[in-house]
Amino acid sequence: MSGQATDQPPAGEPSTPDGTGPDGAGEVLLTMTDIVKTFPGVRALGGVNLEVRAGEVHCLLGQNGAGKSTLIKVLAGAHQPDSGQIRWRGEPVVLSSPVAALRLGVATMYQELDLVPGLSVTDNVFLGHERARYGFTRRRAARAEAAALLARLGHPEIHPDQTVGELSAAGQQLVSMARALAHNARLLIMDEPTAALAADEVDNLFRIVGELTSAGVAVVYISHRMEEIRRIGHRVSVLKDGRTVARDLDARTTPTADLVALMSGRRLDAVFPERAAAPAPEPAATGQPALLTVEHLSRAGEFTDVSFTVRAGEILGIAGLVGAGRSELLETVFGARRPDAGRVLVDGVPLRAGSVPSAVAAGIGLCPEERKSQALLLEMSVAHNVTLASLPAYSRFGFTDRDRETRDALDRLTELDLRPADPARAVRTLSGGNQQKAVVARWLVRGCRVLLLDEPTRGVDVGARAELYRVVHELAAAGVALVVVSSEVPEVLGLADRVLVLREGRVVHQAPAAELTEADVLDMVMEGSAA
Amino acid sequence: MADPTAVRAARGPTPGAPDERVRGQGLLGRLVARPELGALLGAVGVFVFFSAITDQFLSPLGVATWLDDSATLGIMAVAVALLMIGGEFDLSAGVMTASTALVTAMLATRLGWNVWLALLLSLAFALAVGAFNGFLVMRTGLPSFIVTLGTFFALQGLNLGVTRLVTGTVQVSGIRSAPGYESAGFVFASTVDLGGHAFQISIAWWVGAAVIASLVLLRSRLGNWIFAVGGAAGSARAVGVPVTRTKILLFMTTALAGWLVGTINILRFASVQANQGVGLEFQFIIAAVIGGCLLTGGFGSAVGAAIGALIFGMVRQGIVFARWDNDWFFLFLGVLLLGAVLVNNTFRRRAERARR
Repeated sequence: MSGQATDQPPAGEPSTPDGTGPDGAGEVLLTMTDIVKTFPGVRALGGVNLEVRAGEVHCLLGQNGAGKSTLIKVLAGAHQPDSGQIRWRGEPVVLSSPVAALRLGVATMYQELDLVPGLSVTDNVFLGHERARYGFTRRRAARAEAAALLARLGHPEIHPDQTVGELSAAGQQLVSMARALAHNARLLIMDEPTAALAADEVDNLFRIVGELTSAGVAVVYISHRMEEIRRIGHRVSVLKDGRTVARDLDARTTPTADLVALMSGRRLDAVFPERAAAPAPEPAATGQPALLTVEHLSRAGEFTDVSFTVRAGEILGIAGLVGAGRSELLETVFGARRPDAGRVLVDGVPLRAGSVPSAVAAGIGLCPEERKSQALLLEMSVAHNVTLASLPAYSRFGFTDRDRETRDALDRLTELDLRPADPARAVRTLSGGNQQKAVVARWLVRGCRVLLLDEPTRGVDVGARAELYRVVHELAAAGVALVVVSSEVPEVLGLADRVLVLREGRVVHQAPAAELTEADVLDMVMEGSAA
Repeated sequence: MADPTAVRAARGPTPGAPDERVRGQGLLGRLVARPELGALLGAVGVFVFFSAITDQFLSPLGVATWLDDSATLGIMAVAVALLMIGGEFDLSAGVMTASTALVTAMLATRLGWNVWLALLLSLAFALAVGAFNGFLVMRTGLPSFIVTLGTFFALQGLNLGVTRLVTGTVQVSGIRSAPGYESAGFVFASTVDLGGHAFQISIAWWVGAAVIASLVLLRSRLGNWIFAVGGAAGSARAVGVPVTRTKILLFMTTALAGWLVGTINILRFASVQANQGVGLEFQFIIAAVIGGCLLTGGFGSAVGAAIGALIFGMVRQGIVFARWDNDWFFLFLGVLLLGAVLVNNTFRRRAERARR
């Protein structure tokens, strides 16, 4: 493709980043300088610097919430940065829209594939840049080209006429990649491309990446799996809290410990209030029976043989990557999914499998990950939302007692310091942290004794997080058993008494939080497919 | 990853074994997955039923009658189907047929304009209303159901108010004596003699509309865009599909179809009632849905909508031929709608499941 590519190794194997690799060879394709992007209440990017050279695989590392997704969207033209400069081959450019980015040669493969399910493979590949003459698509040419692209991607068996919605996840990803190739991308952004792939598919993907880079295409590669970064990466840049903390490290030789140290060490210590007294320092010794017991819980393809117990006043943290089966596990405990094997007990009494009413009656409450869509009635008042799970208690002959409803809601709001403490206010108008408190308040009104929190601080700004942590600690002090799932390791370690590490649906480690360091957990969580 | 079959598919084909990802491409499989299937079965059923119980239904005069009835409805249904595949509704489509006819008739009879000139102006009026609908929907993000409900009532009020203001009655007539009536009538409202029987030219317009719409939908770049904006507007925008422009164009297409039907009506009957067209908008949508369109957009067929209209015409006239009370029409309609939707739904699901 370009003259710079001549000294790249032959196709089929990624070029070696041994110092003579692309670092000195490839032309600088993209430079991002001091990129800042703020959303209402959150500073997603607070000064990101990135340099990508032609023919390299540039890996982007960072924990969840470090700003990787926002950075990708800025690169893809979907978000406009508040400040900072983007240069393309030395020239300042504005990526005003996805189309502008594509014209420049920046193609993005999002983690959530953005294909049109009802259209054929060919139509998806050429959507927006159709091969057309006088408005009529040159179907034969387009179909042939799509078939050729799929063959080049190692999958000639995917029929160009097939409807994309009927393909498997891996098949859809190939279509997405074929589309990027059809755009003649000079820079390809891949967001966790291996998340949905089996091992031999991953090999195929890496072969393609190798071919692309040998042809001078640059790849920005996002993955949590160190092993992949070692295998195909040339250089690594690390993001933390929306900033670049390290640039252009050697992907092969930089020790994992260094990378993990760069990604972790978040200064959250100040945010976690000291707990007045660890309620169960030696839980086994206290002889206190478990409030929640989960025995050998399994669901095909989601999680396997998960067992744990939580005592009253104890906080169990579950660490794991997205896709490790965390949310599925909580939903199964809550009865929203029926387990294939195993059971859930509260106070030693087994719950009816796959029954939410049974779980709720036993005192289990769930604060789901997507609180806006899964927990809250956004247009309704705080009071209505808070009493939603306990309406029978407020009803007489089918009519609800509004005054008592409002009064009780107000009590809980004061207790949780939800602001503004106005029960009549629509939940939609509250901030993320206060919405989360409303969900928690709902279960408190219900008198719940086991609270499952799935990513409780997602979309909550730092100040409000401290508030939520305080609430969690107070609940524990009041004797509630809590299970907290989070992809942010510092949060799990800071909040929980005991930590359970989940990887690919299995418990890989369980230990008191005090005995674990952030680096340990990150290591266990990310080891991933490292054989 | 969660789905074991997905993982199996991800491994690619074993040499020698047929790959499951390309399975189900047989003729039967493709036919079953077509959106028109339910409508086609319904049409055959209705046709056989009325052919069997009445004599006139299959006679040339009978055929001409139900084809004629289907034609004007069909022109609209095809345009409405395109709009629905694009993910939007147009409730003002029914009233639009009256508005355009009224504009044409008033200009020709009151101001003495040449009919062709009057038609040109009413066309401009229709396109402007369509563009307004589309612009408002895209600009505000409000559901098109509400926006076009507003234009529906506004147009109905205008139709009645202006007509009464100008003529003192609620109808406009007398276009026959206007200049240019003969030639315009020849194009839009003449009959064609086939084997000694008169067939309305509107049938040709209907067939033409269905053919052109299908070509656009299945063979053109615009067609891809229509499916894309209805099925996944966000993804479409991300790859450079002009979503706003496509949708506005679709609203203008429905308005254009409304103008065509209004023109056919006014030139044929030479008079138009100010309250005409009210209630038809749902018949258009029903025809499109019987023809396989999803209310959620992204899926459907123009030919299916044309067949949906054909079912309407056959049932409406079949009931007359059978000398039943007209009231039964709606019962038929309801049963057919549910039946066609159930068939479409079942087959689509089965087709999808078979390939996963």
